[in-house]
Amino acid sequence: MVSDLDSDDTVFEVGEFYQLLTAHLESSFGRRRPHWVRGEVAKVYEKGHVYVDLVDAGSASSDTKRPVLNAHCWATPWAPIKRRLAAEGIVLKAGMVVSFFGYVDVYAPQGKIGFSITEVDVEGLLGDVARRRAELLARLREAGLLDTNKQRVFSPVPLRVGLVASPGTEGYQDFTGQLLSSGLAFAITLVKTLVQGEAAPSQIVAALAALDRLDLDVIAIVRGGGSKGDLSCFDDESVARAIAGCRTPVVTGIGHTGDESVADLVAHHHAITPTKLGEELVAQVARWREDRLQRPSQRLLAYGEDLLEGSTSYLAERRRTMIFAVRDRLRAEERHLAATRERLVREARHLLVSAAQGLAGQRQLLAAYDPTRRLAQGWSIVTDAHGSLVRSIEELTVGDAVEVLVSDGSFRSTVVEMKGTRT
Amino acid sequence: MSDVSDWNEAATELDEIVASFDEGEVSVDDLFAKLERATTIIEALEARLTATKAKVDELTPRIAKVAGGE
Repeated sequence: MVSDLDSDDTVFEVGEFYQLLTAHLESSFGRRRPHWVRGEVAKVYEKGHVYVDLVDAGSASSDTKRPVLNAHCWATPWAPIKRRLAAEGIVLKAGMVVSFFGYVDVYAPQGKIGFSITEVDVEGLLGDVARRRAELLARLREAGLLDTNKQRVFSPVPLRVGLVASPGTEGYQDFTGQLLSSGLAFAITLVKTLVQGEAAPSQIVAALAALDRLDLDVIAIVRGGGSKGDLSCFDDESVARAIAGCRTPVVTGIGHTGDESVADLVAHHHAITPTKLGEELVAQVARWREDRLQRPSQRLLAYGEDLLEGSTSYLAERRRTMIFAVRDRLRAEERHLAATRERLVREARHLLVSAAQGLAGQRQLLAAYDPTRRLAQGWSIVTDAHGSLVRSIEELTVGDAVEVLVSDGSFRSTVVEMKGTRT
Repeated sequence: MSDVSDWNEAATELDEIVASFDEGEVSVDDLFAKLERATTIIEALEARLTATKAKVDELTPRIAKVAGGE
């Protein structure tokens, strides 16, 4: 719509316009009259003064129309507030839902309508969030859902990984980067989902159901860091119930540094970031590989080497032993034969000597009985007519012819008389 | 045992032959037969050991690959 400028219309200079605006605001809010404003911290920047972008709690950063309040706290009021927060262990950071006490502040040089903080009520609003969260956890605990997925058997080798994530996001890259650069045989089945915004919970629930129908070792839900609003889908009750209902163990790696999400608490286990979750799965598989494959292989190699060395030594030793044993045995036989031969020769010689001695004795004995020697001594041998030796008068009668042998011949004779006594 | 079938059995037989030599139980008549048998066993076991070493050498790099975490 285009309107024409009438002569009655007031035309403000910029400065006048801001003065008018300030006057209107001060008439509505009062000059520097403080109000409480509640919201989620989207950004914090501190350099003496503190600058905070505050948005509606739970709103998504992807929502380009969500209202943002540029708040600030000047160094002088900020110093005691900061000390008080620090005493409670609280550091103002993105994702916190907080109530600020302060007043409207128009800063014309930058054309900004902001909010000057004079006080902070962190505890109250954190307490409110905590209460709502505690109520949800109590419902889940009562239904027995906090531990349901923890009771699923977790594979010692979780290589088949179902993944609920948004491809292209840092969380996705960090997680898959760990698995794929590990050199281990991870097989990733991805179901793309939104990981923030109103549509995210239903997509995550559907993704979990789809992956749970497959034969997987684990389902991982990963998401990089973000504001509390960005991560609110992981505190959604439907997501928590879907995780609990999975037959497959579900692990989470949701990049927040504050409280764990409800999804983390319902999951089988969780890591503080997608990278950490990837590292844990890789470490588990690597550990299994080392325990069940590498070490046994090393033992097998060492055992095989020892066995072969032992067998080789055994055979070499046996070969040597056989050669020596046979040589010893043959030498022993040779020695035995030589000794026997020596003994036989000695005994044969002894036998010959004995025989010779025996023969000499016989010879002497025979010589003693030699008749020629007796004949030479004057003895004679008488034989009868038949040539038989005459040893007795019984063998003769008077008138018998006999032959008498003497040393140098014989002569015939006749028995003329018998002397002696016949028997 | 006419052939050499089982390592342990063959090694036991070999040990017995060696022991019989050590104890002087072998007669000269039996010596050749026993030595021939012991030689047959040693050669058979060495052949088997060589074949096993070759197979082990073939498998070792594959096992070492796992053992080394490659």
